[in-house]
Amino acid sequence: MASKMLDNIRWLIPNTGDTLPCGEEMEIIVSSRIRVARNVDSIPFEIKMKQADAESLIALVKAIIGGKVDGTFLDLTKMKPLEKESLLECHLVSPGFIKKEKPSGVFINRGGNVSIMVNEEDHLRFQGIGCGLNLVNLSSEVFGIEEYVGDNVGYAFDEDYGYLTSCPTNMGTGMRASVFMHLPGLVFTNEVEKVLKGALQIGMTVRGIYGEGSEIRGSLFQISNQHTLGFKEEDLLERICKLAKMIIDIERKARDVILTKARNEFEDKIFRSLAILKAARTISSGEVLNLLSALRFGVGVDIVKDITLETLNEIMIVSRPANIQLFFGEFLEEQERDIKRAEYIRKRIGAE
Amino acid sequence: MLCDDCKNKPAAIFFKEVLPDKTIELHLCEDCASKRGLLVTKKLTPLEILQKLLKQTSAQDEKVICPRCYMSLAEFKRVGRFGCSECVTTFDENIRHLIKQIHQNDRHIGRKSTKGTKKGFEVYKLREELKKALEREAYEDAAKIRDKLRDYGVEDA
Repeated sequence: MASKMLDNIRWLIPNTGDTLPCGEEMEIIVSSRIRVARNVDSIPFEIKMKQADAESLIALVKAIIGGKVDGTFLDLTKMKPLEKESLLECHLVSPGFIKKEKPSGVFINRGGNVSIMVNEEDHLRFQGIGCGLNLVNLSSEVFGIEEYVGDNVGYAFDEDYGYLTSCPTNMGTGMRASVFMHLPGLVFTNEVEKVLKGALQIGMTVRGIYGEGSEIRGSLFQISNQHTLGFKEEDLLERICKLAKMIIDIERKARDVILTKARNEFEDKIFRSLAILKAARTISSGEVLNLLSALRFGVGVDIVKDITLETLNEIMIVSRPANIQLFFGEFLEEQERDIKRAEYIRKRIGAE
Repeated sequence: MLCDDCKNKPAAIFFKEVLPDKTIELHLCEDCASKRGLLVTKKLTPLEILQKLLKQTSAQDEKVICPRCYMSLAEFKRVGRFGCSECVTTFDENIRHLIKQIHQNDRHIGRKSTKGTKKGFEVYKLREELKKALEREAYEDAAKIRDKLRDYGVEDA
């Protein structure tokens, strides 16, 4: 079970197989993601869909995708709550998706970086995810599959409004692209709010880790486009990349400020975080996120040298509540989870 | 550079507007920009705009009904979701302003559905029917289904 779960985060730990090459600016951009919503023209949308429609859509997608892309189809109705939660923690499905009660499923490609949710709010939600700043590579991969499926099913499309979606806020390109950034420098210099306001001015939105309404933790922020209608896909992607690069510049400057003004204080914070992760016997996932934030900063500015960003990425995802249970292949109560999580981390950063 | 307005705080926002007869350029601090109303501090999200606009209902809404999925405009305003691909055409004149406000735009210029066929699903259903017909050895039915499939350009069935 552990290896199956690790397969789902191969996109985050490159060079472990046939995944996409790693994106740029990895020490600041944790990951990039593109999500494209599509509906099949001949089937009613979610709200008017019958059980039989939902079932035949799944069969249809399985038949089409099966011959083209190497991967696995997971039937959500047959999965345990823990396994569904794990897919969410691995960022392969959306929070709303795992709560669906009608027939639904997700196809995941062999590289673990492209998933297709079937019967989400829209019939199909194509998603590509990769580490670092990687939107351009991701988009060609996602649209390659999207187009192939479209040729076979016929998407709901309107000359004026573009691709039609369940919710009017997604119509047009149906595309939402996001970058997930680690900004401890801006948090420290109190510039976060300024940067976020700036993002808002140009039609971008900022959220926490799991999308809409989720809280911001561990200095992690997600930037994505607000509007989906009236833009060309590549222009939208370019705007997000530009904004990301601008924020990267400000973050780098903030990091320089920190290192000139408060180097001792920060070195202390970084190495104390490392020491706790190496020594703890019980640890919550929230605490891990905060300690990892300090450590990621340390690795990024070359203060910590013997730990890689890939390792930190892996720990960040594996130490989440459902994943840690699947990693050890057993159901664990919260207290046991904290103990096992500490054990896993000690091993992972070479303390034992 | 100091703010053009208060000449006190450093300018953080650069504002440029090209008018027919002149170009206005301003370098402002955050406070002065917000005083001039140039700074959007709290913008409604597209979803919030949608929810706000859907509250504007009329008695006529019950009478506008999508011919394909039978969703009424009233129902659309209650749930905020379309019922099928025909709904936007049916509700077009009632929702165009809404879409324009949500996206600040009402015309798609991105990728186009190159093969906007409605065939895929039909072909799939016919193939399923064909399979079943062959299973129960109803060869006449099977031949008819094959003919229909051929109309869709499927030759290998």
